[in-house]
Amino acid sequence: MATTKVPEVRDITRIERIGAHSHIRGLGLDDALEPRQVSQGMVGQLASRRAAGVILEMIKDGHIAGRAVLIAGQPGTGKTAIAMGIAQSLGPDTPFTALAGSEIFSLEMSKTEALSQAFRKAIGVRIKEETEIIEGEVVEIQIDRPATGTGAKVGKLTLKTTEMETIYDLGNKMIDSLSKEKVQAGDIITIDKATGKISKLGRSFTRARDYDAMGAQTQFVQCPEGELQKRKEVVHTVSLHEIDVINSRTQGFLALFSGDTGEIKSEVREQINAKVCEWREEGKAEIIPGVLFIDEVHMLDMECFSFLNRALESDLSPVLIMATNRGITRIRGTNYQSPHGIPIDLLDRLLIIATSPYTEKETRQIIKIRCEEEDVELSEEAHTVLTRIGMETSLRYAIQLISTAGLVCRKRKGTEVQVEDIKRVYSLFLDEARSSQYMKEYQDSFLFNETQAPPMDTS
Amino acid sequence: MDAVTQRVLEYLTEVEEAAEDVLTTKQQIVDLDKKRNRNREALNALKTAMSDSEKVKVCFGTMFIRFPKSKTREMIQKDQEQLDKEINDLRKGLKAKVNRLNEIQGRPEVRGYNLSPLSTDEIKAIDNLLKR
Repeated sequence: MATTKVPEVRDITRIERIGAHSHIRGLGLDDALEPRQVSQGMVGQLASRRAAGVILEMIKDGHIAGRAVLIAGQPGTGKTAIAMGIAQSLGPDTPFTALAGSEIFSLEMSKTEALSQAFRKAIGVRIKEETEIIEGEVVEIQIDRPATGTGAKVGKLTLKTTEMETIYDLGNKMIDSLSKEKVQAGDIITIDKATGKISKLGRSFTRARDYDAMGAQTQFVQCPEGELQKRKEVVHTVSLHEIDVINSRTQGFLALFSGDTGEIKSEVREQINAKVCEWREEGKAEIIPGVLFIDEVHMLDMECFSFLNRALESDLSPVLIMATNRGITRIRGTNYQSPHGIPIDLLDRLLIIATSPYTEKETRQIIKIRCEEEDVELSEEAHTVLTRIGMETSLRYAIQLISTAGLVCRKRKGTEVQVEDIKRVYSLFLDEARSSQYMKEYQDSFLFNETQAPPMDTS
Repeated sequence: MDAVTQRVLEYLTEVEEAAEDVLTTKQQIVDLDKKRNRNREALNALKTAMSDSEKVKVCFGTMFIRFPKSKTREMIQKDQEQLDKEINDLRKGLKAKVNRLNEIQGRPEVRGYNLSPLSTDEIKAIDNLLKR
């Protein structure tokens, strides 16, 4: 192909910390969208995973934009896991923005501004850059300086690829930039035809010698293949928010780095929308509707919900995925009760996926996966005990115990976590039920116990 | 040969043919570029060496012919234009061929392939963003 790949320089592989959902690699579906019992870190929740898979396909095809999905279920039933799974299987090209419902309450910007920035982060624009370049290995470079020291320099540059070789005559300007880049025989260079910009890609492998004294930064590359004069096409994906930021730089170019962009004027947004639409009509850009994930969506208030209602109607709108663990509850900022704490009119637009509690077998499986993720060896009995704990208290508590028990085990120089280790951490750390039990028993000895307020309104 | 084997064979043949097609086009581009570069060298040589009135020896196939310089230059320039056009056409066709090959091999289509490029000004503006 006429396109060439510019070698990517990869620095140190990023060391990822182990998060609560770091074991999720995808939704665990087969080609026919049928969920496998255990796959890609996902366990159980077959029906909801299948539903998520159908939505995922639609997102990939670009069929749905401006739709919204609600994942509802009890705490610890894998809502966030499903959202993460969707994000993972969308691939790197589709923008995925995640935020928690309470994140938008900040003093720096209004709630709606925070929401619309999140919306625009979730929409990608694909554009293409096309350049004609000359790419080859320098065989010889010959520069003639006039004897007087002044006047025009002339020179010749011989370039080759694996297939061909040719001589270029050099003018004054090119000679200057070649010597500025310190180009010498054996270098692989590219010359941008339009601008005449020269860039050095590295040294040719054929010129690598054992005794050459080289700097550590010298990179060896293969001699390019094919024709000398190539066309390079690069496709970039940027988010609408990023374009917004450059075009509204009131605080100088530092804005992009600090992340503190402040509020973006709606005129700027409108201009950018118009430009992007123009590009799309000219075939210069593709719009990729991404996914915006709002966790704990019941934390949003009435204003945000009505904003969402409106924003979903816009033609540049991503797919909105929300998750909540509330049942029928009060909508924040009002006195009205509503299912999931979401107003009925918004609820009406949603596709709702329900998650159900895990069975014992599934809990066992999840604990096993987490053990692998956290590098903890678990004995068979300990596994059974932990599963029981997970069933009786909560899955999250059981998962917390994995790493703590692992530490206790390492302390006594064991290799495998035994039932004793689990017992020890179980006595050290309280789960939610035991903690409240304790509170009830020793209420009197805590501070401020005399203010016997009427029971808190938890609805 | 049973039906399944027959089908596999047919499929493989199709893939191989498509791949061969891509390779031939690539080679063709290389050959044309070779020619283009040789022409460019010739034009440079005509510009610098010799006075304008002299005739130059031009090689046609196996024969050298003495030819007026201006005529030669015109001829090569025409040839260059033709070559540029041909290479462009081949590149355009190559995209379709690579897409077809990807399709029959069941590989995903290359994204953003058939976008038209942004103009240099637009790229400059976007570059600010890309070179973070």
